[in-house]
Amino acid sequence: MTQFGAKIRSHAALIPATIVIGIFMIVPILIILVYSFLAPGDYGGVKPEFSTDAYQRLLFQRDLFDQMVFDPAYLKIAFRSVWVAVVSVVGCLVLGFPVAYYIACQSEERRNIYLLLITIPFWTNLLIRTYCWILVLRDTGLINGGLIRLGLIDEPLTLLYTEGAIALGLIYTYVPFMVLPIYAALERLDRRLIEAARDLYSNRWVALRHVVIPLAMPGIIAGSILVYIPALGAFIAPDLLGGGKNLMLGSLVQLQFSSARNWPFGSALAMVIMAMVLLCLFFYARSAKKNGGGIQH
Amino acid sequence: MTSAIGLNGLQKTYPGSPPVRALRNADLTINDNEFFTLLGPSGCGKTTLLRLMAGFEVPTAGELTLFGDDIAHLPPEKRPINTVFQHYSLFPHMTVLENITFGLKRLRKPDAEAKRVAQEMLDLVHLSDFSARKPDQLSGGQQQRVALARALAPQPRVLLLDEPLSALDLKLRQSMRAELKRLQRDTGITFVFVTHDQEEALAMSDRIAVMSQGEIQQVGDPATIYEFPENRFVAEFIGDADFFEAETLGGTSYKLPNGETITGPQTKAAIGAKVTLFFRPEKATLKRAGNGLSGRVSDILYLGNSTDYVVELVQGGSLTVRSENHKDGTAIAEVGSDVVVEIDPAAVRVLSA
Repeated sequence: MTQFGAKIRSHAALIPATIVIGIFMIVPILIILVYSFLAPGDYGGVKPEFSTDAYQRLLFQRDLFDQMVFDPAYLKIAFRSVWVAVVSVVGCLVLGFPVAYYIACQSEERRNIYLLLITIPFWTNLLIRTYCWILVLRDTGLINGGLIRLGLIDEPLTLLYTEGAIALGLIYTYVPFMVLPIYAALERLDRRLIEAARDLYSNRWVALRHVVIPLAMPGIIAGSILVYIPALGAFIAPDLLGGGKNLMLGSLVQLQFSSARNWPFGSALAMVIMAMVLLCLFFYARSAKKNGGGIQH
Repeated sequence: MTSAIGLNGLQKTYPGSPPVRALRNADLTINDNEFFTLLGPSGCGKTTLLRLMAGFEVPTAGELTLFGDDIAHLPPEKRPINTVFQHYSLFPHMTVLENITFGLKRLRKPDAEAKRVAQEMLDLVHLSDFSARKPDQLSGGQQQRVALARALAPQPRVLLLDEPLSALDLKLRQSMRAELKRLQRDTGITFVFVTHDQEEALAMSDRIAVMSQGEIQQVGDPATIYEFPENRFVAEFIGDADFFEAETLGGTSYKLPNGETITGPQTKAAIGAKVTLFFRPEKATLKRAGNGLSGRVSDILYLGNSTDYVVELVQGGSLTVRSENHKDGTAIAEVGSDVVVEIDPAAVRVLSA
């Protein structure tokens, strides 16, 4: 009995989080799952009849004669979303790794200052920050205006409402999520290992490749996951910077729940995003297992 | 004899307020195929000197040569010098074999050759069966030997060892001493060994440089360093030492503060000059009566194979005499007994003040 009591006590710290996650995460997911198998209500909401229409709509379209025809429109949106998310991950990695490395090399007090600076973007609302990018990227914006004034171009470049603009917005938003875990991994890294590599005929780049990056891998992977998942479902940046024409999964979901009033389809889309994320995590876990241990500390 | 490493007025100052003069002005020649030890307490500059040789630090001034070539400003990867690090610094994400072939691969040796050399190195350090293990699956002593194999594999011209034995327990440390000595003889590579352990230095080295406060105090073979230290620091740092003050009377006579005279070595100091005399505790003999420094035993430290007697001298000050125990194990004197410390003049050294 006392043993049982001790067991409960040792897990007591988890109870509040478990309750919160249970109520605010599992339950909504279950609701979405149920909704995705129901028929849409006329003015939003759902009708309580079972239907797999929402999932069929992902790949098929009813034509004029009520036949199901293959329609890759949503598949394209899914691929575009994955592509933009991957570009964002790579962009965040390229920008974030050197920053994390730089911070990890500083003295302890300076590190804390830099880490504080990294979090500064979070102090302002994401919507406002993303609007600012419109001011920078639009035809009469900072970049085009500047380039035209310098005489480098005559016509404004199309910067806004492109996939590139979406990726830029996503990278801008999520780069801190890449920097922090990589920094955590690099900060733990024994600097003497770099000296050992230098001693054994590696210049700094070779040492970076063979020692620093492999040892920072847990942080790189954690950062990539932290960027990839929200980037895949993001809708603010795609909406504002992609305009209407470059729909992404996140904005599509939002659209279904708002103006399109097709909740089951929106739910089905949300389920697809979740499945894609879980699939990535599954492949990562499997490769980590194969490489013996995966995340090492 | 060819010089493997040459230092000429080598200096290293770290900026700061005040700047830290880690290495003041080092002149030194380390011969090829020599087991050379840098010995000194922590903060004496020995590690700075080692890091200068390895290329992790750039000298502030002076010359550093490797077989005659100036290497002072070469980056570490361009120097045919390898290091055995104090905490081994094995790459945790690589197997033992990958660790050992790391340097060879960077030197673009073919895979087959790298593997063959690594296998030889593993044989050399008696770890042939461990090549597939990761460093964290090895004991401290085994990691130590992998670190050695890794540093020896690229066949460096000089091997630097940064207190490699300090993290091992006593028994292992003692067996590794013999092992290191054997490796040095077998490979013919110049070893530069850094330690603060004088016993280790005396046991392994061909020559020793004793360092203190950023300066090289004395360079010599172990016996010379132990028997003829040039200053008080070296005398005290290497082994135990007894000091007493005296006044020279010319020739081999010295006047003690209480007026007695004793016979010591010939000295160049002027008559009437105050000098410090010094001897090793094991070179004096404790007698009940006789000719020497008289005093009273104030403390006894039993060491097993010998006993240290602390003697309060009549003239002031105290000495330690290390004496073998009687064959039947009984002590030579008890605390409180009056004794005479008899010193062989041949064992007494005069230190310049």
